[in-house]
Amino acid sequence: MAYVATRGGERAIEQSQRLFREAMGDISADRIQEIRDAMPYLIDRVMGEASLYDEDLAALALAQAGGELYEAILLLRAWRTTQPRLALAAPVTQESLFTHRRISAAFKDIPGGQVLGPTLDYAHRILATEVLSGDTYVPTPVDPAEKPAPAQQPSVAAWQAENGLLTLPQADAVQGNDIPDVTREPLLFPAKRAHTLQSLARAETGGVLALGYAAQRGYGQAHPTVNELRLAEAEVVVTHPRGTRFSAGRVKVSQAEVVNKKGEQLELGFAATMGWNEVKVIAAATLDLNSDGAPKGSATEEEFFLYHTEGVESSGFCIHFKLPHYVTFQSSLDAMRDAKAKKAAKATTPEPAE
Amino acid sequence: MSLKSLTKDWEPMSYGFLDASAKREIRRKTLKAIAVPGCQMPYASREVPMARGWGTGGLQVSCTLINPKTTVKVIDQGADDSVNAASIRRFLARVSGAPTTTDTLKADLIQSRHRIPEEVLREDQILVLQVPNPEPLRPVQPNMSIARQMHADADYGRMWLQLYEQIVRSGRVMQGASYPSLVHGRFVMTPSPIPRWDVPKMHMAKHLTILSAGREKRIHAVPPFTRVEPLVFDDVPYRVEEHGDLTCTRSGAKGYFMNEIPQPDGTSTYEVSDSELGVKTIRSSEGETIDIGQTWYQNGEMAQ
Amino acid sequence: MTAHPIPSDFETRTNATYDALIWALSRPGLVRQLPMPGQANIVETLVDRECAVHTGDDMLADVARRTGATIVDPDAADHLFFGNAPTADLLGILRQGTDMYPEEGATLVLPCSIGQGPKLRLTGPGVDGSLEIKIGSIAPGFWEKRRAVMRYPMGFEIFLIDGAQVIGLPRSTEIEVL
Repeated sequence: MAYVATRGGERAIEQSQRLFREAMGDISADRIQEIRDAMPYLIDRVMGEASLYDEDLAALALAQAGGELYEAILLLRAWRTTQPRLALAAPVTQESLFTHRRISAAFKDIPGGQVLGPTLDYAHRILATEVLSGDTYVPTPVDPAEKPAPAQQPSVAAWQAENGLLTLPQADAVQGNDIPDVTREPLLFPAKRAHTLQSLARAETGGVLALGYAAQRGYGQAHPTVNELRLAEAEVVVTHPRGTRFSAGRVKVSQAEVVNKKGEQLELGFAATMGWNEVKVIAAATLDLNSDGAPKGSATEEEFFLYHTEGVESSGFCIHFKLPHYVTFQSSLDAMRDAKAKKAAKATTPEPAE
Repeated sequence: MSLKSLTKDWEPMSYGFLDASAKREIRRKTLKAIAVPGCQMPYASREVPMARGWGTGGLQVSCTLINPKTTVKVIDQGADDSVNAASIRRFLARVSGAPTTTDTLKADLIQSRHRIPEEVLREDQILVLQVPNPEPLRPVQPNMSIARQMHADADYGRMWLQLYEQIVRSGRVMQGASYPSLVHGRFVMTPSPIPRWDVPKMHMAKHLTILSAGREKRIHAVPPFTRVEPLVFDDVPYRVEEHGDLTCTRSGAKGYFMNEIPQPDGTSTYEVSDSELGVKTIRSSEGETIDIGQTWYQNGEMAQ
Repeated sequence: MTAHPIPSDFETRTNATYDALIWALSRPGLVRQLPMPGQANIVETLVDRECAVHTGDDMLADVARRTGATIVDPDAADHLFFGNAPTADLLGILRQGTDMYPEEGATLVLPCSIGQGPKLRLTGPGVDGSLEIKIGSIAPGFWEKRRAVMRYPMGFEIFLIDGAQVIGLPRSTEIEVL
């Protein structure tokens, strides 16, 4: 007889996966397409957190994980990490983006105008329960504006800088392959600017929200005014090995600029991510706004929020506590029991005579 | 230049899962870790098809070291059969074709979570320990950048103070596993959450130990023949768990680190934590000719 | 999936090179075998576009360039490869990292003749007690300079190559010229 059935563990894990997958049934191309078409915002969130822009892969990951978001993102990140870097896209500027929605809370009107674009901000959140009794919910078609809003819009911060209200950040001269890549080098502190923005771009939405919200409630020093929130599409311009520059397509992006009064100047917080995810970029920009000079160990300190909003790391660590820890537990028990015995022995030993 | 020269032929999966650049990063950083024993080297930890916190750091080192001739053993909490050990072993075999074993003596590469096997490791063996938290200073300084400065300054005063306070309060050092240890007289490291029982096995050992934290993106190492000294006061000696007198109820093995099994009547029985040692002991007592290696502990005492 | 991936020649070669290097550095002074003579393999095994490399000879420069690494002067390099023995002065300008980031110290690869020349006594991590080796074709004053410029944990690593043989000398190794 064996001490442990060596195949037991392997059988158990195999069957546990079958149980999980059984609940989802067959995964077909139709299912992937349905997920992709019906849930663009979920796809966007997943692509942003995975830092991998591919709607089909995101839908596949969601299908395979049964909608378990952390699993889906891990699937995509693990796939992404094996892919070669073929080319680097040219940088995009705010004013070059194909803009669908761009609003400012700082001014009633802004150069280029407030463009409401697609949003549920002013919708009444009422469930369309009639669908459950057999009706089909058919969205009312959009009435196009007489004059479409311009596709390209200047940034609000640029106007503020022109008017001496704000000093724009120094343009970073680092180009192309020299731009630090947080997936290729470890994150160290004080973090490189590129690492900070990349980390926020792929951060977990809920985590960024929790810490950003803490800052907004008063655990940060700076109160954000949304200078501009923008949902847009960015051109991915790459250079062919033969030297031709061409657009490989467009990706959806969101970005937020938030400002705060600091003396006679506005200070600026910024965040951007792939896909349309407004909550994330506003919360992330709030953290960025608050990070300068934040006390060590506070929720708005860069090291604190970048570590703790990394969704793959935080969720992985959280679930790792399910793994057996009986060796460490045994080790602690040993120290506890001994300390207890020592205390008991001390209590029964009479005080030595004076 | 053409697109083809920039990329490689398509393959469903790289050998050992990691691509060449991920492997080179691990190679560069493990070499530096060996050069400065006990010092945490930051590395670009890749995402692997396993959740962070489940051995992704150890896995990346194993995937870099492995080749089709590497015999691999994987243990978790001392057991080859633990579900996560089974999962990692299956993954390593699947991405490399490497043979696997449960026998410590037959392994070239041992990936482990929270234990060092009881049989003495040889100078041709590599032990890869999974590390949840690479920073021994975390209990006194959760901020990584401040802790890094403390290591740079060899400023371990607060570490000592913490141990001293435990002795004052509880009459002993209360650290369970992950006992902080000074490596080559310079860096305090965590030996990973191995029990105190296992820490002396690292001191002047013949094998190479690589400790890798995937989530925290740090690698540190203990080369062979390197001093590893648990932090202790001269008058309060280091104490391993009192398992020296315990006997395994299943195998009869005595004097090794044990798992305590609570019994319905309120008592406890014990099973040897190194499951393969248990297997070997049973087989040997049933008359099979079994090669049990020399063990670090003999009669419950660490051999000098 | 039943079949596992098959290692390419490149994978097999760099894996074996790494195996030699890791053991060379773990056991300073003990000779390990590289899968083939020379330094080109070591370049392929360790270096890529994340690295800043200096090479002392043209052939290695081509190999280094193909990896995508940036080619730099010796004082900025994280990896240095020399076809001929560099002078002892080189050691004075090598990157040694800082107390905060010791890993930024350089890795230096150079040719030598193992088993000839002055006798060295090694002690430190990875050495069982002490070890004596003979290393020839090294610039005069090299080991004295190494000792003079390094302050542990800052420092640099040296791989000595003789054909397909490699010896590793981490910064933690004390070297005494006998």
